[in-house]
Amino acid sequence: MPASTTVEALRAAFPDAVVRDLVQSGDQQVVYIDPSRNAEVLDWLRTDPGERFNLLVDVTAVDYGDGRPLEVVYQLWSIPHRRALRVKCELPLSRLAIASVTALWSAANWLEREVYDLFGIEFRGHPDLRRILMPENYAEGHPLRKDFPLRGRFSRAEQTRRALSQDMEQYYMPDEMEGRGAPQLVPADESATSGSGSQGR
Amino acid sequence: MGLSEQPAERLPVASSPPGGVLGAGTPTFLTTRLDFVVNWARRNSLWPMPFGTACCAIEMMAAAASNFDLARFGMERMSFSPRQADVLICAGRVPYKLAPVLRRIWDQMPQPKWAVSMGACASSGGVFDVYSMVQGIDTIIPVDVYVPGCPPRPEGLIYGLMMIQEKIREERLSEHGTLRAEDPAAVARARADAEEVLALSGPFGNSTRQNRVSGPTGSDASDRPDDRIP
Ligand code: SF4
Repeated sequence: MPASTTVEALRAAFPDAVVRDLVQSGDQQVVYIDPSRNAEVLDWLRTDPGERFNLLVDVTAVDYGDGRPLEVVYQLWSIPHRRALRVKCELPLSRLAIASVTALWSAANWLEREVYDLFGIEFRGHPDLRRILMPENYAEGHPLRKDFPLRGRFSRAEQTRRALSQDMEQYYMPDEMEGRGAPQLVPADESATSGSGSQGR
Repeated sequence: MGLSEQPAERLPVASSPPGGVLGAGTPTFLTTRLDFVVNWARRNSLWPMPFGTACCAIEMMAAAASNFDLARFGMERMSFSPRQADVLICAGRVPYKLAPVLRRIWDQMPQPKWAVSMGACASSGGVFDVYSMVQGIDTIIPVDVYVPGCPPRPEGLIYGLMMIQEKIREERLSEHGTLRAEDPAAVARARADAEEVLALSGPFGNSTRQNRVSGPTGSDASDRPDDRIP
């Protein structure tokens, strides 16, 4: 299978940022890029008229174990061009940090929090980088890392004690549950037009 | 032949007989034991608090639906407010993050109250012997009936609830004070102390190459004599 036009364009635009590329699972195009330039490359992929990868489907990470680097995975979809692309960045275990892409896609906010919570990768520039799935007082590390023992690092008694010492008002804030304080989903100008009766048609 | 042509004395309820509740000649009162009446009323109007967290909750819903019909046992009203509930049905996995929520809901239920642990996960952690899971909700709240299964069929849940009814039938009013005493010191605390939790999570050989409380160990069973149940 020939390299896709996206990869060719990407290599032309960033000759030294593309590490390698391959095709997986039949037609899934994968590109490995330099982790120190991820924001730049992803912004180009998002805005370049020939690419327009405007939907960030997922941000996740993979730990292959045995001291191999962790991979941060960005799964992109271009709605205008109906194309998928998987962008990967390899992070050495000694430096688990990468730039946040929340400024490019706001969908990255919770996805990056999840990766931080479960893999311990720091997303530089993330507006609110705290745990999202594990309890906030969780102190056993990052559970999806291969070196994490299946049953956790603490004894069951300690885990139970810590669980019950959680401050529930911290998580289950009425404000948060009712969606107050959540970012505005519809841009202000659009919500203004739909509010003035244009929905009726 | 019209009804009016019958002789008046043969009409069934022409005039109330000089008798009691079951017809002429029976007494006009019943005697019973107070604790029997109280327990009868209680056990036939249990309102469940559904705490459905996973797949088991689907079977709990099936038990409440028309085929199995929990309403036959006076449990037609699933009480989504713990303040008006009598039986907590914990149906599904409880992760540690949810443990304080479960405890608070239990604390919010007024006495008298009972708890059913439905399914393997709620009763023991089930197959999820992992970092995030409570290994049996009885470490968090007191449990009256455990319903085994993955998931238990609705009949199983109904049988468990009938066991609660049996339990209520056996209670005596004189014992209610001690059976139903609230301990303010227990609020928001785990039911089991550290020693009990550790005993429950003791070595338990399985295929995950780990002791319950430690890190990775050898996978060969002969390497791990401490994994065998004594
Ligand atoms: S016992 Fe089985 S059915 Fe019930 S919650 Fe656990 S896995 Fe699901």
